[in-house]
Amino acid sequence: MSIVLDVRDVWKSYGELQVLKGVTFSVGEKEVKVVFGPSGSGKSTLLRCINMLDPPDKGEVLLKGQSLMEDGVNLTMMRARIGMVFQQFNLFSHLKALDNVTIGPQRVLGLEREEAVDRAHVAIEQVQMTDWIDHYPAQLSGGQQQRIGIARALAMDPDVVLFDEPTSALDPELIGEVLQVMLDIAQAGTTMIVVTHEMGFARAVANEMLFIDDGIIVETGTPKHFFTAPENERVRQFLHRLEVLYGGQESVEQ
Amino acid sequence: MVGSGDMHNLMPLQYGIVSYIDELAQAFLVTLELYFVGLVLGFIMGLTFAIMRQFGGRVLSRIATGYIEVIRGTPLITQVLLVYAIPVAINAAGIADLPLNWYFYYIDSQNRIAVTLNWPILASMLGLGINSAAYQAEYMRGGFASITSGQLRAASSIGMTRWQSIRYIILPQGLRRSIPAWSNEAAYLPKYTVVAIWVGVMEILNMSKTVIARTFLSVEMYLILAIIFFVFITAINKVLEITHSRTKIPGV
Repeated sequence: MSIVLDVRDVWKSYGELQVLKGVTFSVGEKEVKVVFGPSGSGKSTLLRCINMLDPPDKGEVLLKGQSLMEDGVNLTMMRARIGMVFQQFNLFSHLKALDNVTIGPQRVLGLEREEAVDRAHVAIEQVQMTDWIDHYPAQLSGGQQQRIGIARALAMDPDVVLFDEPTSALDPELIGEVLQVMLDIAQAGTTMIVVTHEMGFARAVANEMLFIDDGIIVETGTPKHFFTAPENERVRQFLHRLEVLYGGQESVEQ
Repeated sequence: MVGSGDMHNLMPLQYGIVSYIDELAQAFLVTLELYFVGLVLGFIMGLTFAIMRQFGGRVLSRIATGYIEVIRGTPLITQVLLVYAIPVAINAAGIADLPLNWYFYYIDSQNRIAVTLNWPILASMLGLGINSAAYQAEYMRGGFASITSGQLRAASSIGMTRWQSIRYIILPQGLRRSIPAWSNEAAYLPKYTVVAIWVGVMEILNMSKTVIARTFLSVEMYLILAIIFFVFITAINKVLEITHSRTKIPGV
């Protein structure tokens, strides 16, 4: 299995606050890694460091062996190969759903309009939003907006897609449709790093789970490992709190 | 003895304001020129300064801020007078020989020369544009600043450059949002065109004063002048209102 993304000893601080304290992990092709941990532990910062929206203070991020932190690297073209799905969707509000998805292929990859539209249709089909392509973001529900957000990332044909708590801004009844789409694209072979507390999703598709607390990876393992015999006390406490919160039920029934 | 025909050409005191309709129309045309050119020039410069101030980094944003502060902190009339006088002074000092004595004109129905563009008119257009740019820049910047940073992060995440984000994400939304505030400037500027009188432009106020000098109908003439501006500005507001509602983003 070839390595898509290699994160090596990444450190990041904001002023006095040291958010990441040496994070190292890698993601192989078609792998799904779920990152979880308490709020403020550095999960979202880690994702923003990976695609250089917030460049790390030190460490190394390699995309298919190519460093993103070297001088002279074309960062915008590297970012085009790393998809990102945001907690707040962040759709372009003046563009129809379709154009939210075509704008990247058209403006960044330089495709002709027809090619970009074809590509967008495929991505929109994957997130089951074909009937909504002419709607503007404000005319869509949160779940629909997030699915278009996912399509926007997929249409770039990225090497890896980062998900930053994609369901935590959604009303409970809308979470299911987004998770279902994420399960579908994971099973279709999309390489993904997902920051989420949706343990049902993790159990269903994660190849590996990473528990982050206080800026470091505290424990890694398969979902089975975490749900049967987590070693670290902080992990146990955290999973217990999630269980209390969600009543011991997985949010997605498998 | 002076014949009545000669009187008509020189000083037709016996007629009312209506008999000056051609002259007033011609002068209003000059006012419209001053307005539209000033507004468009102000838009182009204002957009440039707004982008510089909001996204230009340290140096460019300071230049833009300085420009905006200086222009907003000095009288419009001073700016117009300076634009007009500087080339004149350069010629007078013998530094250069700038061409300032050209003019464009048409021949009106009574075989008279009606000037449509000369140095005083051009200087007034430039002065109005330079002034309006500072105000328009501030209105536009307000619109740009209201676009959420999340959309910019999303644009970066699909590989857009900074300039592409500005061009394809910020401008289309920011300009729409700045229309209501920008409408103020579009409605103020017609009234400000009258400063051109100070560099000798025969615009509508100047012509009104000429008509008053010939007819002594000052109150009537000034009332008509007020009505002309009122109708024009009301029409502009209506057009902008329609533009605003037509460009609204559905659902927002």
